[in-house]
Amino acid sequence: MDFSLSFTSLEAISPLLAAGGLNPDEIPGLGWFTNSLFVAIFVTVAILLFTRMATRRMEMVPGKKQNLVEFVVEFLYGQVEAVVGEKVAPKVFPLLCTIFVFVLICNWSGLLPGVGTAGIAYDEGEMAAPLTIKAEGKMTPILRPPSADLNFTLALAAVFMIVWAWVTIREVGVMGFIDHTFGVKGGVEGLIKWLLVPIFILVGVIELISIASRPVSLSLRLFGNVYAGETLLASMMALGKSLGLTGIWAFISSVLLPLPFYFLEILVGILQATVFSLLCAIFVKLSTTHDEAH
Amino acid sequence: MQVVTDIFTMFGFKLAPFIAQIIIILVVYFILSKYAFGPVMAMLEERRKRIAEGEANLTQIDEKLASAEAKVQEMLDQANKDAERIIGEARESADSFREQKTQAAVAEAQQIVAKAQEATKLEHERVMGELKRDFGRLVIGATSKVSGKILDDGDQKRINDEVAGQVSL
Repeated sequence: MDFSLSFTSLEAISPLLAAGGLNPDEIPGLGWFTNSLFVAIFVTVAILLFTRMATRRMEMVPGKKQNLVEFVVEFLYGQVEAVVGEKVAPKVFPLLCTIFVFVLICNWSGLLPGVGTAGIAYDEGEMAAPLTIKAEGKMTPILRPPSADLNFTLALAAVFMIVWAWVTIREVGVMGFIDHTFGVKGGVEGLIKWLLVPIFILVGVIELISIASRPVSLSLRLFGNVYAGETLLASMMALGKSLGLTGIWAFISSVLLPLPFYFLEILVGILQATVFSLLCAIFVKLSTTHDEAH
Repeated sequence: MQVVTDIFTMFGFKLAPFIAQIIIILVVYFILSKYAFGPVMAMLEERRKRIAEGEANLTQIDEKLASAEAKVQEMLDQANKDAERIIGEARESADSFREQKTQAAVAEAQQIVAKAQEATKLEHERVMGELKRDFGRLVIGATSKVSGKILDDGDQKRINDEVAGQVSL
């Protein structure tokens, strides 16, 4: 399969691609343990430490950290409740909030210095430098933002789909789900209802395909956006050098040119975390809403 | 399906990192549920309860305050009524006392006046008696000088009685 731009192929611009390419790189000597897994674990530990610090001694009059955590949780709960409803919110809120917080921090982790830019340089298959930010040939980054790895985004989508199925079955039951998907809607009765049955069965099949494609669309959207952002930043960093600048000018351009895009990526990080969790909430809402006819 | 698999493979899907990422997500889910959502939601619920209790207490306090104010007003009204009654009674009592005292004073004054009148009368009678007696002596003296006769006790007594009988002051 050939991904081509208007003037060149994907392979031709591969040196500009961030984080060493589309695939996450395995850290040498650690088998399948990839650089994005390393960052994901780092983010997990950071979340653990912060939440423990913030909620270890909960007080009626909160301190700064507790106040921040309470604000985030209360705000997100309000948003989730507004979408999925009062009854389902307590069941799906922990997962949706986890998704939002984890995705947000993972997205922003790509903006930390060294993430995606510092790595091991290889020259014609041989290790040229164990830790560098400059490489003429291939470089394996030591750190890669987890959301720029399809394995992470797909894992998120998979976990969500399992919880979605569980919540849906608990709320409407198996027969309820089948009826919700294939049943004739609109409250029509009599002969017209039976005439509409084949059409709604077809609609149900399309709905099933739509449901099956949700993890694909969710994971690829997040992965594509974050990876594109990483690529954009890497491209801006290398732009001065590509234009023939050398020495101090190349360094200054590598600092100044990506700067506006860092702010853009901060917004994109929030936006993509919101989109992912909001879509998840909407999917829950769609499948747990009881038809008026019932 | 093959297309999807190809796309995933091309974009770096591998089973081992995928499963590892699922485990990490579940760990984060567990951490946040245990250390963030659970305690925070419990705290928010506790705070909501406290606020509800506070509001309920506030309503109770307002009601008690209103009741106390009504009671105070009632007591004030009652006190005012009692005060007015006591003042009225005091005023009546004072009026009565004053009347009594006035009557007593009037009676005393009348007594004094009567005594004075009686004393005056007695004094008048005494003075009149003396005057009669002096006048009698004058008449006796004048009679004795005019007649050149020494009047005995019987003459003096008769002249005195006649003078006293004729002189009326």
